[in-house]
Amino acid sequence: MSAHALGAEAGGAPSASASWPVELKDVTVRYPNGVVALKGVSVRIEPGEIVAVVGLSGSGKSTLIRTINGLVPVTEGTVTVGDHVVSELRGRALRELRGHVGMIFQAFNLADRASVFHNVLVGRFAHTPTWRTLIGAASPRDREVVMRALDSVGMLEKVWGRAGALSGGQKQRVAIARALSQEPSVMLADEPVASLDPPTAHSVMRDLERINQERGLTVLVNLHLMDLARQYTTRMIGLRQGELVYDGPAADATDADFEAIYGRPIQPRDRLDR
Amino acid sequence: MTAPAIAPLAIPARPRKPLVRAAWALVTVALIAAWWHLDIGLRDLATLPPDIVHYTRLMFTDPDLTALPDAFFQTWRSVAMAWVGALLGVVLSTLLGIPAAAGVGPWWVRLPLRGLFAVIRAVPEVVIAIIILTVTGLTPFTGALALAIGGIGTHAKWTYETIEAVPSGTSEAVTAAGGNLAQVIRWGLWPAAAPELMSLALYRFEINVRTSAILGLIGVGGIGDLLTGYTQHRQWDTVGVLIVVVIAVTMSIDAVSGRIRRRIMEGARVRDVERSA
Repeated sequence: MSAHALGAEAGGAPSASASWPVELKDVTVRYPNGVVALKGVSVRIEPGEIVAVVGLSGSGKSTLIRTINGLVPVTEGTVTVGDHVVSELRGRALRELRGHVGMIFQAFNLADRASVFHNVLVGRFAHTPTWRTLIGAASPRDREVVMRALDSVGMLEKVWGRAGALSGGQKQRVAIARALSQEPSVMLADEPVASLDPPTAHSVMRDLERINQERGLTVLVNLHLMDLARQYTTRMIGLRQGELVYDGPAADATDADFEAIYGRPIQPRDRLDR
Repeated sequence: MTAPAIAPLAIPARPRKPLVRAAWALVTVALIAAWWHLDIGLRDLATLPPDIVHYTRLMFTDPDLTALPDAFFQTWRSVAMAWVGALLGVVLSTLLGIPAAAGVGPWWVRLPLRGLFAVIRAVPEVVIAIIILTVTGLTPFTGALALAIGGIGTHAKWTYETIEAVPSGTSEAVTAAGGNLAQVIRWGLWPAAAPELMSLALYRFEINVRTSAILGLIGVGGIGDLLTGYTQHRQWDTVGVLIVVVIAVTMSIDAVSGRIRRRIMEGARVRDVERSA
């Protein structure tokens, strides 16, 4: 699995991406139904960091990660990505920013009935005329970017297959390729391994780790499992009921720290490898 | 020896359902009123079975096959009308139905469109044909156009319901990658909805085959037209042949189309779980 070199832009095509910082200032998110998902969260993530956002489900980590690409609008406070203030962007400018922020999801979110190629081509949408994307045609350069992205996650041989025919781990790798083909400056991952079995979960986490190490890409990954956070990330942010309750090096986080984040004693299901 | 005292049971009061009773009473009254108003005599009902036998004999004992080529030609016309009507109707329904789906169009687009579909659903194809034949005349094209417009009412509703049933994950991923609304529809919604929409389009065609025969009754051509003519002249031996042709053709189309629809839906399902080695 690890034979393929990730950051190697082998064809000499330079990566357009430069790693960006992410900063949240006093961010509060209140949903229309009245639920307050984030309460005055402030945090700054430096370019090239790999950060785990840890918390139980409902702690606000999905909301936090979605404020960074504007999928969830903030009620109060500001979110800054690179030199863009996300909360001020609308329409075309917001789509442009999203083009620079890759994201992967727990449920992979591929179009199962489309080919792997067309799924990964979605990553080029922000940089392509709409008419071209509607007929599914790719420029030679986009095609090259897609193929390189697929190769970097070891999925090139499946390029013409249907996404729905892949296994869970393969789907998540195609989803990573989709995000990489954006040539992103920030990578977001929302519970990327929660639907996968332990060996596959580790290999997907290793993919994220390598993206961070080899491309120097800023990576934010939502996790609810403590051992994955400790093993693959350098910094950990803990969320509990929408509030920031922990921020420190992931490796140093003690069981007591995790109990404080979870708000309860540690249980076997808090670890992937029991 | 005293018998043990039996404590009285606390039986809950039986719930009264006045609304249910009222509803049943209303249905009964409506049925009696309708029956009485239509003046259906039991005596007329008594002559029905012998009448059926009588006309069946007239129609099928000595069929007049001279009209057979014409019957097939007019049936083909009906089917062509149904096909063109389905194609036009499905294209229009898709274009109008997608913006009417929640999560795609804003409310001020959705509500008027849904209102339009509801109005169209309330008007039968025959009435639409009568209205538009003042412009387009008594031609099969009028029939096709009536089927297309009439089809929008239900097909556009099926379209937006299908689109709304698509899980939102893929759309979220396309949005997160910077895609605009058109791109979200094309790659977030369409791939998941397409098999179902194709199947519904074929079903639309099946329905149109039946409706096109009815449209013939008002004179736009096709098998219905022929059937009206021979019935009015009481040429039962030919009417019988026409009926057999209509039933045979309609059933064949239903069978073939139904099989294709099953293949589309099963194929979509099977391909979702198969693992390409």
